[in-house]
Amino acid sequence: MDAEMEVAGTQPEIEWDGGGGGADAVLGLAPAGASVSLCYHQAFGPHNDIVLLEAGDDLLPDLLQGRVTVRGRPDEEAVLCTPSATYSMKFVGTSNSVFLIPPGEPSASCLRPDHTKGDANAADAVAAAIKLAPGSIELVRTAPRLDKLRSLLRERPYVLDEDLGDGLQHKKGLYTWKDLCNRIQASDGELLDGLNTLSAVEMDGFWRTVEVNSVNTILDVILHNSVLHDWSLNAMPETDVLSVMESDGFAHKIVTHCLNRFGKKVEQETRSFWSLDEKLVCLQFARKVLGAGKMKLANFMDKWERSIPSGMHADLQMLEGEVLFEKLGAETWVHAFSVADLPLTPADRFAALFRERVKWEWKDLQPYIRDLRVPGVSSEGLLIKYTRRTQPSSEAEPIFTAR
Amino acid sequence: MEIRVRCGCGESSCPEWAVVELQGVVQPQASFAGDIRGLHIGRLCSAPSPSATSKAGYTFTVGYHELAGTKVTLKKPLLVLRKKKVGGGGVGDQEPPAEVELEVIGIIRHKILFKDRPKALISKPATKEKKTVQPAED
Repeated sequence: MDAEMEVAGTQPEIEWDGGGGGADAVLGLAPAGASVSLCYHQAFGPHNDIVLLEAGDDLLPDLLQGRVTVRGRPDEEAVLCTPSATYSMKFVGTSNSVFLIPPGEPSASCLRPDHTKGDANAADAVAAAIKLAPGSIELVRTAPRLDKLRSLLRERPYVLDEDLGDGLQHKKGLYTWKDLCNRIQASDGELLDGLNTLSAVEMDGFWRTVEVNSVNTILDVILHNSVLHDWSLNAMPETDVLSVMESDGFAHKIVTHCLNRFGKKVEQETRSFWSLDEKLVCLQFARKVLGAGKMKLANFMDKWERSIPSGMHADLQMLEGEVLFEKLGAETWVHAFSVADLPLTPADRFAALFRERVKWEWKDLQPYIRDLRVPGVSSEGLLIKYTRRTQPSSEAEPIFTAR
Repeated sequence: MEIRVRCGCGESSCPEWAVVELQGVVQPQASFAGDIRGLHIGRLCSAPSPSATSKAGYTFTVGYHELAGTKVTLKKPLLVLRKKKVGGGGVGDQEPPAEVELEVIGIIRHKILFKDRPKALISKPATKEKKTVQPAED
């Protein structure tokens, strides 16, 4: 650290109002012979509370209109979040002397070494530097860090007829939107997307995932009621569904959440209807069937087809990214392996994939990596970085293994 | 935790700061090690432009060194942020803890950059300031 900084550091910091630098005198230095005397500001010092942040023109509006926050725990590398994007913050130092000159009216003169006001140009404009900047913070667009979200919400999934208890036990493992903003390094928009990907629902102010048996129960009762009350699965009348389910003991909020998870709402004139998505419903039943572990394919198909609602058709295509097939001897076996359970960061994702299976063909691998998003890196780039591609012969399928 | 970045100035009226950047270190003589606040550093002059098209030149005279430089527009503007502690921190555990806020207090769009080797003005009488220069990267 240069002598100047050491010296300034031992002085008690003088109160500084943020101005007194005369920046305009420097900025407006007219060509042809105008001059300015540059001095150390009366309050010159390290001013470690002042930092420089590089901001591209695309970020300026959000920054200047207060739509930006910095998120992270003290032990994490901070990120800067706009409403929809996340940026890592990297301090880049400089060995140059960067004098920062604030705006405002400068003091009339500065002290010359011999305590005089200097040569004849005492009428020179004066500018004062408040500090030497050691560098600035650069922003690099980064993927939101959402892995923690899943583990937080799994602490206390919502269970039907749960009893949250009183006192301290009541709040443990439960997170409000604000709690999540404090803990998760992602922009509001990306955090909300992450919550939707987890099929989370906000109840009584807390964001919860719903425990799988509870989800299956609610879905079963909805389907059972649709038979009982003759609702068409692609046009279930919303008011009827909610009131029937309520009399069966299921709160509106959780029923609506399930309808949303397995279908979509259709507005028709004055009434709202829910239309269930065949793929999402069948997938849920497939998961239920495979809950016990791996099965022979024929056995699985039989059980699956018998469990789905009548009118719906089971198709193996629906299970992409959800199950894996393997040939053991003459038999094909199937087991659950859901992309939704895998880590979100590329390095961890590929590690998990190669732990499951040493060699992957592209058609099997693709559903498990197509959701990976890294700003600035294509999926080919990810493959190159994390896998080794081999091709036994020109007609054979390429095989991917760990790098 | 979450630190808000506030801007009291709004988009159009963020005060602009000036920056003078030198390759090297300015050192006051030992006799001024006490307190350099308010001390004169050097004189910044705009050089008369030889033609309408050439870049505006500047000279910065520190002690008996004269530096030549130009005004550079930053590819990405820099915002000047100030960390502030807000509220809380009072006695008793009913008070919320002090929160940190960042406030945008200025913007920097240009700097006057001096990166050429300084010229020694030997004919001028030695003044009390001297400038030491790091070896320039060739």
